Amino acid sequence: MNMKKNIYLPAILIAFVFAACSETLDDINSNPNATANPNPAYLLTGVEKQGADLYWGSSADYGGALLFVQHWAAIQYGDVDRYNFTNTTGIVTTPWNTGYTTLITDLNTILEHADASVNTKGAALTLRAWVFELLTELYGEIPYTDVGKSIVPVYNTQQEVYAALQTDLSQALTSLNTTNGAIDGDLVYGGDVDKWRKFAASLKLRLALRTADRDDAGAKQIIAALNVSELISNNSEIFQFVYTARPQNNPQEEHFLTRNDYRLSKTIVDKLKALADPRLPVYAALPEDPTVTTYEGGANGLSNSDASSQGFDKLSRPGAYFLNATAPAVIYTYAEVLFNLAEAAQRGYISGSAETYYRQAITASLNQFGITNTTDIADYLAQSSVTYDAANWKQSIGEQKWIAFFGQGLDAFAEWRRLDYPVLTAGNASLLNGKIPLRVFYPGTEQSLNGTNRAAAVARQGEDLLTTKLWFDVH
Amino acid sequence: MTKLRTFFITLLLFAFSFGAYSQTKISGKVIDERSKEAIIGASVVVKSTAVGATTDSNGDFTLTSSLKIPLTLTVNFIGYQPQEIEVYDASAPVDIALREDVNLLNELVVTALGISRTKKTLGYATQEVKGENIDGKSSTNIINALAGKAAGVRINNAQGDMGAARIVIRGETSIAGNNQPLFVVDGVPADNSQILAATGRDQSRDFRNAIADLNPEDIESLNVLKGPNAAALYGSRAAHGVVLITTKKGSKHQRGLGIDVNAGITLATVATLPEFQNYFGQGSNGKFSYVNGKGGGVNDGVDESWGPRLDVGLLIPQFDSNGKPAPWVSHPNNVRDFFETGVTQDYGISISNADDKFNFRLGANYQDQTGTLPNTEIKKTNFTLNADYQLSKRVKVGANVNYILTDAPNVPSGGSPTGSNYRASSIMLQFLWFGRQVDTKALKEGYTTNRNWNASYYDNPYWESYFNTTSQERNRILGNVHFSVNLLDGLDFRFRSGTDYYNDRRKYKIKTGSSGAGSPDGSYAEDAYTLSESNTEALLSFVRTFSDDWDVDALAGFNVRDNSYANNWQKATRLAAPDLYTLSNSKDPLESANSFQRLRVYSGFASAQVGFRNFAYLNITGRNDWSSTLPSHNRSYFYPSATASLILSEALDIKSNALSFLKLRSGWAEVGNDADPYQLITVYNSQTAFDGNPIQTSSKTKNNPDIRPERTQSTEIGAEAGFFNNRLHVDFAWYNTNSIDQILRVQTSAASGYDYQLINAGKINNRGVELQINGTPVKTKDFTWDVGVNYAAYRSKVVKLDDAGALLRYVIGQTGPQIVAAVGERYGAIFGTAYRRDASGNILIGDNGLPLTDPTNKILGYYTPDWTGAFTTDFSYKGFKLSALIDASFGGSLFSSSSQTGVYAGVYAGTEVGRSAEFGGLTWADADGTRDDGMIFAGTVQSTGLPNEKIISAQSYYAATYGVHEQHVFDASYIKLREIRLAYVFNKKQIRKLGLGAVTVAAVVRNAAILYRDKDLNMDPEAALNTSNVQGVEALTRPTTRSFGLSVNLSF
Repeated sequence: MNMKKNIYLPAILIAFVFAACSETLDDINSNPNATANPNPAYLLTGVEKQGADLYWGSSADYGGALLFVQHWAAIQYGDVDRYNFTNTTGIVTTPWNTGYTTLITDLNTILEHADASVNTKGAALTLRAWVFELLTELYGEIPYTDVGKSIVPVYNTQQEVYAALQTDLSQALTSLNTTNGAIDGDLVYGGDVDKWRKFAASLKLRLALRTADRDDAGAKQIIAALNVSELISNNSEIFQFVYTARPQNNPQEEHFLTRNDYRLSKTIVDKLKALADPRLPVYAALPEDPTVTTYEGGANGLSNSDASSQGFDKLSRPGAYFLNATAPAVIYTYAEVLFNLAEAAQRGYISGSAETYYRQAITASLNQFGITNTTDIADYLAQSSVTYDAANWKQSIGEQKWIAFFGQGLDAFAEWRRLDYPVLTAGNASLLNGKIPLRVFYPGTEQSLNGTNRAAAVARQGEDLLTTKLWFDVH
Repeated sequence: MTKLRTFFITLLLFAFSFGAYSQTKISGKVIDERSKEAIIGASVVVKSTAVGATTDSNGDFTLTSSLKIPLTLTVNFIGYQPQEIEVYDASAPVDIALREDVNLLNELVVTALGISRTKKTLGYATQEVKGENIDGKSSTNIINALAGKAAGVRINNAQGDMGAARIVIRGETSIAGNNQPLFVVDGVPADNSQILAATGRDQSRDFRNAIADLNPEDIESLNVLKGPNAAALYGSRAAHGVVLITTKKGSKHQRGLGIDVNAGITLATVATLPEFQNYFGQGSNGKFSYVNGKGGGVNDGVDESWGPRLDVGLLIPQFDSNGKPAPWVSHPNNVRDFFETGVTQDYGISISNADDKFNFRLGANYQDQTGTLPNTEIKKTNFTLNADYQLSKRVKVGANVNYILTDAPNVPSGGSPTGSNYRASSIMLQFLWFGRQVDTKALKEGYTTNRNWNASYYDNPYWESYFNTTSQERNRILGNVHFSVNLLDGLDFRFRSGTDYYNDRRKYKIKTGSSGAGSPDGSYAEDAYTLSESNTEALLSFVRTFSDDWDVDALAGFNVRDNSYANNWQKATRLAAPDLYTLSNSKDPLESANSFQRLRVYSGFASAQVGFRNFAYLNITGRNDWSSTLPSHNRSYFYPSATASLILSEALDIKSNALSFLKLRSGWAEVGNDADPYQLITVYNSQTAFDGNPIQTSSKTKNNPDIRPERTQSTEIGAEAGFFNNRLHVDFAWYNTNSIDQILRVQTSAASGYDYQLINAGKINNRGVELQINGTPVKTKDFTWDVGVNYAAYRSKVVKLDDAGALLRYVIGQTGPQIVAAVGERYGAIFGTAYRRDASGNILIGDNGLPLTDPTNKILGYYTPDWTGAFTTDFSYKGFKLSALIDASFGGSLFSSSSQTGVYAGVYAGTEVGRSAEFGGLTWADADGTRDDGMIFAGTVQSTGLPNEKIISAQSYYAATYGVHEQHVFDASYIKLREIRLAYVFNKKQIRKLGLGAVTVAAVVRNAAILYRDKDLNMDPEAALNTSNVQGVEALTRPTTRSFGLSVNLSF
C-alpha cells in the first residue's frame, strides 16, 4: 500500500461520517414526546378530572378531611385519624402539589393561551378561584400573587386571597357570556355557559360567607349584588364530575377494591340514626358480617389495636351510591346554595325566610340522594331535632350542612370550623390533647425550598401547627 | 545506559572466565512469573561476588562459582523486581520466576482514549486492577469486584449480589446528575445505567446496573481514572472519573492449543437479616383469633405482632389450623426459612492465538444464577471476539465484539419506599408487618391457593414469588471496528467506530386472585427499552524523540457521539381470563406510555506531552464539544487541562537502596458538561383520554432556553515513592474539585407553579486525600507476603445553589426524610422530622404521654462517609495464594424505614421490652381494667416542665416513634471482611504429564463477616434502595448475601 492510499482512506472515512450527520443539532433536540403548545380544551378536561380526583380522592378527602369531620373513620393505619402525621403526609402535600403544579398552572396556561375562547378563560378563572379556595382553607396564608412568577413565591394573607378571588370571579362573570365562544373540553357542564355563570356566582356566595365573620359589610355587599336565579338552582345543575368505567372510575370505589382501611364514622352513623335520616341507607352499607343487621360506624381516633378490635366486618362501608365506578365527585351542590342563602337571609344580607331556604336545602339534599317521597321528606323535616332554630342558626345550618356534605370532606371541614357545629369530639387516642385540627401543616418541602417566605407567613399567622386558627375561622 | 549495562555484563563474564577453577556449577532458567515465558538477557550474579551470567534466548543460564553452597543468587532484569534466591542444591536446575515491577519506571498504563503511557509521565493518580485480581466467580457483578481494591473508590452493594451496585470515585461532585464514573470498554463508552420502572408504574425490582453484563473472565485489566485530571480528554462525562476496561487479547503460545476452560459454582446464603422478637405473636392489645385474615376474627386483619404471649401453652385458631385452636408457638426462624441458598453456575471456554500478523481471542461463557429469594433466576450468556490483523507493513485492522444475552425469568424484588404503589412486591414488606408466630412451612404448603396469614394486604409470599413475577430479557452488543495506519515514522492515524446497543424487555405478571399487589383481577404489563450509544473517532498521533533531552507525544482527533433511548410500556390493568398474560386479555383499555430521546455531541480534541530527559513531563490537553442538548448560542464549549510530572529520584539522582523512586505530580483540569435532551422548552404531557376526551397537563418542569454548559475544575497534587528496592510503595494524592454553574433541575416550591425548574447554578466543592501503601514484608524463593492499605477521605460540600441565594436546599430525593444538598452542608444530608426538645435537649412530651414532633425539620445525618479504607494481605507459598480483603467506611448515616416498620409492628427484637410484667412492663389501668404493659416515654412534659410520668401501653410507646425520622437514623459505619480467597496453581511439570498447560483452583468467600457495625441498626449498613444519588435511606431492603465459591481454570 502506498502512501497516497494511506492518506485517502482516512479522508474518505471522515467525509462519510460527516455525510451521515446531515441532521442539525437543533433537529436532534426537538422533543418528540410532548408538546410545547397544548390545546386549551385538553387542559380544561385535565383540570376537571384531576381536580375531581383531588377533591374526592385519598389524600385530601377520605384519607384526611373526611376523618377530621368524622364522616369516615380509620380502622387500620389510623395515624391521620389520630392527628399523628407530619408535614410529609399526603393530606399535607397532595393538595398543595396538585393544586399548584397541576391545576393552577394548567389553568394559568389556558388564561394565557392565544387560542382559548373568552368563555374558556372565564371557566378557567372560575376553576382557579375554586382551587385557591381549597388551598387557603386548608393551610391559611398561601402564595397567590407570585404563583408562576417566582421560584420563591411570597405568601399572601388569607384576607388578601379571599379579596383577590372575589375579583377573579367578577372577572370570570364578565367573560362568561354566550357570545364569547365555546367552552371546549368541559365534561362538567358540556360547555353550557349559563351553568358556568351559575357556578361562578355560587362560588362568590360561598366565599363571601366564609369571610362574613370577619367582614360583615363586605360579605353583605357581595351577596346582595347576586341574583338568586343566577345561582345553581336545581340538582341537575350541581357542579360535579362524573366518573366512568375502570380505570377512570371513582377513586373511592377504586380504594375499596384493594384496600381495607376505612369505615363510616360512628359520629355520622349515630347522628343519622338519631334523626332516622333516610340518607343513612344511601351513605352506608350494612356490615359484611351477616349477624350484624344494623348500620354501624367506627369510632375515630382510636389506637390501632382499639380500632381493629371493633371488627372490620362489623362496621359499615360507604353505601353502593358511593362505591360505584360511575359515582360522581360532587363539588358544589344545589343544597349548599340553599344553605348559603338561608345563612345570608339569617344574616340579613338578602330578603326571604332563612327557614324556608333551610327546609328547601334539606329537601334538595334528600332529592340528590334519591329520596323523593314527599311524605318521608315532610316527616323528616317535622322532627324537632331538624326544625330550624333561628336563635341558634349556626347549629341548625351547621349540622344539616355537615350531613348534606357527606363525602365533600374539604368543604365540610371548612364549614365545621366556621360554624362550629356539629360538636365533634376527638378520638381517645388522638394526639392534640382533645382538639381537632383546624388546618394542616405547610408541606415540608416549603421549609426546604421556600423557607424565608414560609417563615414570614408563620410569623403572621401563628405557629405551623394543626391547631392554629386561620383568619376566616373567627370563633 | 544500555551501553553501560552491556559493558558491566561483559565485565562480569570476563571475571567469570578468570574464575574457571571454581567448584560450584549452577544452572537454571529465568521466567516471567505471570506469563511463564522465558526472560532473555536477565543477569544472574552470585551475591557479594562479581561472578554471574546472562540468560540466553531460552532464558537459561549456567555459572560456576568458587563459593560453596549454600550461596545466594541475585537476579535482575529491567522492568522486573530484583530477586534473591538461596541455592542449597547445585545438582538441580534453579528456576527463577521474576515478577513484573509495577512500581518501576517503565510500567505502562492505559490512559484516556485507550492510549498506553509510561506511568511515570503521568501528572495524576491512576490505579490499575489486573484481571487476575478480579474474581469473576465470587460476584456476578463486576463492580462488586472493585470493592476495596482502589483508594477512594466507593462501592455500594445494597441488596445482595444478584442486583445492582453503585460505584462512586472520590465522592459526589454533581448535585443532581449522575455521580458514577463513565465506563469505557476497549475504547468504546459502555452504558451502566440501572433502568428502574418509572414511578408509579409497576413493581419495584432490583434490576442490575448494565455494566454487570460483562463477563469478568474476559477482562484483562481495569484502570480507574480518578476525576477530571486523568480523564479530561473524555470531556463531558469524565467529571466523576472513568473506569477503562481492557478485554483479553490473543497472545502467542509457547506450547499448547491456546484453549482455556473455566468452571465455577457459588453458593449464596442470606447474611444479614434483622433480629426479631419471638415472645409475642400476631394481634393487637394482646388479643388474636383467626377467622378470615381480614378482620373477621379477633384482630386477624392486623398485620402487627402485639398479640398474645407465645410459647406459654395457649391454643388459638390460626390461618393454618382450619378454624380450630392450635398451639400458639414461636417460629424464630420463620423469616430466614423463607430464603433459599442461591446457586451460581458458571462455565466458560476461550480459544486464543497470535502470530506475527494476527492475534485473536474467542470466548464464550454461560452463567446461571438463582437467588436467595425463591424462584429468582438470571441466566447470562456472553460471546466475545477480539481480533487484530496486520494488513500490511503500515496498516492494521481489528474488531472487538461482545454479545451478551441476559434472560432472567424472575428478577428479585428490591426495597421500596413508603407510598410507592409497588410495595407489595418487596418481599420484606410482609416480614416486617408480620405475625411472629407464622409457620413458613404452612405458607409453602398453601401457596397455590394464596392461603396467607393476612388476607387484607398481602399475598402468600410463595404465591408472590412464584406467580407475581417480573422477567427481564436483555440483548446487548458492545464492540468496535478499528484500523490504524502508520503514515510516517512516528505519525499514526487511527480510526475507530464503536457501539453499545441493547434491548431490555420486562414482563410484569400479577396473578388473578392476588390481594396485595393491586388488582384482584391480576394484571400484565410489558416494558421495553432500547438504548444505544455510538462513537466514531478519528485520531492522528505523533511520537518523536528529538534529542537526548526532548521527546514529544502529541495527538489530535475528532469524535461523533450519538445516544438514543426509547421506552414503550403497556399494561392490561385487569385480566379478563385468569393466567393468560397477553395485552389483549384485558377488561379495560390498555394503559400505555412511550418516550424517545436522542442526543449528539461533536468533539474535537488535542493533547501534547513534552518530556525532558526522561524525568520531567508536561502534558496539555484541550477539547471542544458541540452538543445538541444546548441552545445554539451556548452550544460550543472548550475546556483545557495541564498536568506535570517530575521524577525527582532521576532528576536529582538521589536513588539509593532506601529510596528507590520518588515522583511528584500536579495538575489542573476543567471539563464541561452538557444537559439532558429536551431541557430547553417547557412542555405539556398527554394523559390517557377520559372517556374519549384527550387530556394534556403540565409536565411540572419549567425548562430553560438559555441553559449553559456546566463546568468542573479540579486541582490535584500527588507524590509517589518507592523504598527498599520498591518493596514498599507509597502513593499520595490531594485534590480539590469545584463543580460550578451546574445544570440543575432544582425542585422548587410547588407554589412557584412547577415542581422543578431548570437553572444554571450551584457550586459544590469536593476535596480529599488518598493514600495507598503497598509493601512486601517477606519475600523468599517460595514465600511472599504482600500487604496493601488504602485510605481515602473526602468532603463534598454544597457552597451555593442559585446565584441569588434564594434556594437553601436542593432535594435529591425523598423516602421518609428528604435527602438534600443544603447550602453550607455536606452533600447528602438526611433532612427529616425530629423530636421536639427543650433548651437542655430533653424530649418534650404531650399531656397524653406521647412525644412531640418538632414542626421544623432537622438535618439528622449525612450519607457520605468521613473516610473509607481497605486492607489487603496476600500470602504466596509455592503454588498457594491466600488473600484477604477487609474494607471499612466510617462516618455516614442511614435512615432505616425497615426499623420504622419493625418497631411499629412489634416484630423487631427489643420491642418485647415493657409488654408485660415479665419484660418489665409497668402496672396501670385503662377502661378495660388493670394491665401490665405500661411504659413511660422519657422526657419533659411540655405543659408542666416536669419529668414525664404518664404511663402508656407498650404498643402506643413503640408506635409513637414511627413518624419521628430521628429515631430511625443510625450510624452506617462498618468494617467488613469482604473477601477471602485461596488459590492453588498446580506445578507445571505435573500438569504437563496430563497434557495441560496450567491448572488453577480457587475458593472464595465473599462478604464473610461484618466485623463492626452500629448494633442498633438491625441490618447491613450498606443498605440502599438503588444506585441513584438518593442514598442513606433504605426501606424494606432485601437481605444481603454471603457467598462461597469454588472455581477451576484449565489451559490446554
